[in-house]
Amino acid sequence: MSTERVAATVRESAANGASLRIAGCGTWLDAGRPVSAARTLSLADDRGVVSYVPGDLTLTVRAGTPLSEIGGITGEHSQWLPLDPHGTNDGTIGATLATASAGPLASGFGPPRDLLLGVEFVNGRGEVIRAGGRVVKNVAGFDLSRLVTGSWGTLGVITEVTVRLYAMPQADRTFAIALGGTEREVGTVVRGIITSPLSPFAFQLISRSMARALGLGDDPIALLRFGGSNAVVDAQVSGLTQLATPREVDNNVWISLRALDGDAHTAVRVSSLPQRFAAASARILGDDVPGIYTCIDPRRGVMRILVGSAASGDGGTDTTLAPEFAANGGSSAVVFEKLPADLWASVSPSVVADPLSQGIRKAFDPHNVLNPGILGS
Amino acid sequence: MVAERLAEIVGESHVLSRQSELLVYNSDGLPGYRRQPRLAVFPGNRDEAIAVVRFLAEENLSFVPRGAGTGLSGGALADDIIVVGLHRLKQIISLDVENRRATVEPGVVNLRLNRHVAPHGLLYAPDPSSEAACTIGGNVAENAGGPHCLKYGVTLNHVLALTVVLPSGEVVELGSKIGERDGYDLRGAFIGSEGCFGLALDITVKLTPKPQSVRTLLADFTSVDQAAHVTSAIVASGIVPAALEFMDGPTIRVVEDSIYAAGYPRDAEAILLIELDGLEAGVVADVEVVRQICLDGGARQVRIARNDAERMKLWQGRKKAFGAMGRLAPHLIVQDAVIPRTRLPEILATIRAISEKYRVVVCNVFHAGDGNLHPNIAYSADDPAESERVHKAMREIMQACIDAGGSITGEHGVGLDKMGYMESIFSETSLNAMCELRGVFDPQHRSNPGKVVPVHSCKEWHGTPASRRPVREHEASPLEAEPSHPVAR
Repeated sequence: MSTERVAATVRESAANGASLRIAGCGTWLDAGRPVSAARTLSLADDRGVVSYVPGDLTLTVRAGTPLSEIGGITGEHSQWLPLDPHGTNDGTIGATLATASAGPLASGFGPPRDLLLGVEFVNGRGEVIRAGGRVVKNVAGFDLSRLVTGSWGTLGVITEVTVRLYAMPQADRTFAIALGGTEREVGTVVRGIITSPLSPFAFQLISRSMARALGLGDDPIALLRFGGSNAVVDAQVSGLTQLATPREVDNNVWISLRALDGDAHTAVRVSSLPQRFAAASARILGDDVPGIYTCIDPRRGVMRILVGSAASGDGGTDTTLAPEFAANGGSSAVVFEKLPADLWASVSPSVVADPLSQGIRKAFDPHNVLNPGILGS
Repeated sequence: MVAERLAEIVGESHVLSRQSELLVYNSDGLPGYRRQPRLAVFPGNRDEAIAVVRFLAEENLSFVPRGAGTGLSGGALADDIIVVGLHRLKQIISLDVENRRATVEPGVVNLRLNRHVAPHGLLYAPDPSSEAACTIGGNVAENAGGPHCLKYGVTLNHVLALTVVLPSGEVVELGSKIGERDGYDLRGAFIGSEGCFGLALDITVKLTPKPQSVRTLLADFTSVDQAAHVTSAIVASGIVPAALEFMDGPTIRVVEDSIYAAGYPRDAEAILLIELDGLEAGVVADVEVVRQICLDGGARQVRIARNDAERMKLWQGRKKAFGAMGRLAPHLIVQDAVIPRTRLPEILATIRAISEKYRVVVCNVFHAGDGNLHPNIAYSADDPAESERVHKAMREIMQACIDAGGSITGEHGVGLDKMGYMESIFSETSLNAMCELRGVFDPQHRSNPGKVVPVHSCKEWHGTPASRRPVREHEASPLEAEPSHPVAR
């Protein structure tokens, strides 16, 4: 599936008024609001490297390239793309950016948009548009690449991307801190880490049920990943030891953590101020319903709640949302990634209903053929 | 009439209409471009700013938002239209130390925000060299960078939310002050829109904890090539310096001759200014690794600043380098191209060859870690023959950067200066998509018209608003820089 074929498909759909479901490898098609489309446009077979100069730490690939393949290619040069969306590495880079799916590493490396340098996409008229470039810093023209990141395919079908890579660190180690104490003790540890000069690659607070599912014991856990030269990581670890009692765990715990998504029928993200999470972490993390997993990135101020099929009862999300975050419009924001189909009707009908978003959608997909309804009508 | 109505909103003393008073606003940080505004209006608070924009909307008048006027792309110039200056909106509205964020008005000067948050152990990371004068609003408009953006990212990475008054007068919130939201990244689209999407009334930024420890190294080389290769070696080592700056021989000597003399070795052909920060123990180890890379790469000497005063002095020379070039000639042409880092030695050699061909002195001072070049040529615009050689040289340099797969601007913006190159890096459909995005924010293209995207690239929009019709012919000034048309398409 070349760019030209994608463009031809979109043009044909626009002409016939036949909408398209845009898909990568199809690992996460159950996310987002239901889409009713005449056909699926899959980019799974459009994969591979377009350009890779390791010395520049930039990589240009076709959108259908799975993250696992990118990991293999860059790993040969001791480089990596620090992008670890929840789920597995089977998904494509195009879909990851289109959905702006972030994982634990977003704490240290920023959200996916910060790793994207340039993009080629096909808009809803079937026109090929390029934005950004292949260099690490660029302000030429209006920023269309930021705009398509997280637009869930509704502004264009991403066909090619250029991303920023990092040199693999000499040391990359993960530590767990049990948070079994009183509310006050847990709050002190969490606040201590947030306000410390430590700079972890990733920092997640993990609920009791999630810790158990990951084989990390029966207490809620703070999980921290440090990377850099040996000396830098040693300095971070000794800093952490002054605040708590960490034990080293296998780095694979991050893969297991992300994999818990596979079983979930509901995934919800709640954003709020970091300190509010620090204050409420003990209560939230104490949750102990099997199959309902909560993790918090207190630096980003994001909590993610998963409800798996193993959850007792048919577990709606409201059982797990701590009351101070739910329906508290002014001070927190709720993003629904995945919900059982019948629950979508009960949440906000659209996240792009404001006039500017509507105007942008109309400009980029005037015939409403790209993933119609996925962000709401 | 217009001046009187605006004076009713902001007070008489905050509207300028006499040509002599407006001279101050006829250029920005690039003195080669001059455009005389028709009027300038300076709202004193948010309500006045909104009222001014609404009045301009009702009257269908075009305008150019302006901060401190330190921009380096001709972006804040108003060609016989109205300047809306925002430097009086300078309140730091709130500071949330615990959650590390602040909300400021657009006229707050970058350095003032940093001084305000410093006692709390925090800093605002983007640090353009004009930080002592430039405003956060201007930084947002240009998506400004700075030396420390190598590690910490550019303005885009540090702005959480904005309140914006659109050219129609409507006030909207973009992004989220409290966290991440879904929907289109309108915040991301607005940042770097160069004043074409409206103007920011307040900006909520992320603050960064001050690093526990900072070390600044000065490595000097007898060849530009060595310094370029060392740059790549440092980046490849996996250490991410807070800053990695490059200055070549001509720049070193100009700085050392000026009041900003920083003690750089005058006989060096290149120096690297490298800053490492983080936890003390880690920084000490990384300093040793970087020092060794420099020495292995041919550095004559690696000096490590012993204290803050020495650090500041080393940085002063770098940050004031553009100003120091004023010693060479009255005018300066500044470029901002970005190239893939691995092409650095080759492009620097090409720049040298071009400078010899056109008998001009190019001073290279730039963000090496990002591959963001700033080749500068000091010249006298009053000498037509010299001007011609300088502009030809600059066009060839830009073309070489484009041919190497680079971008025409890394942090200064397109403005007027680089608009002529947009068609050499973007296709017609891509430029049209940018026009369409602009049209959503500003359907009549009244906010900073005629900048960033060439008007003829917009399929749907080719008009000139009534308000832009010149009331008198603008005479070409002898200072006028030639429009930078690309050498080849």
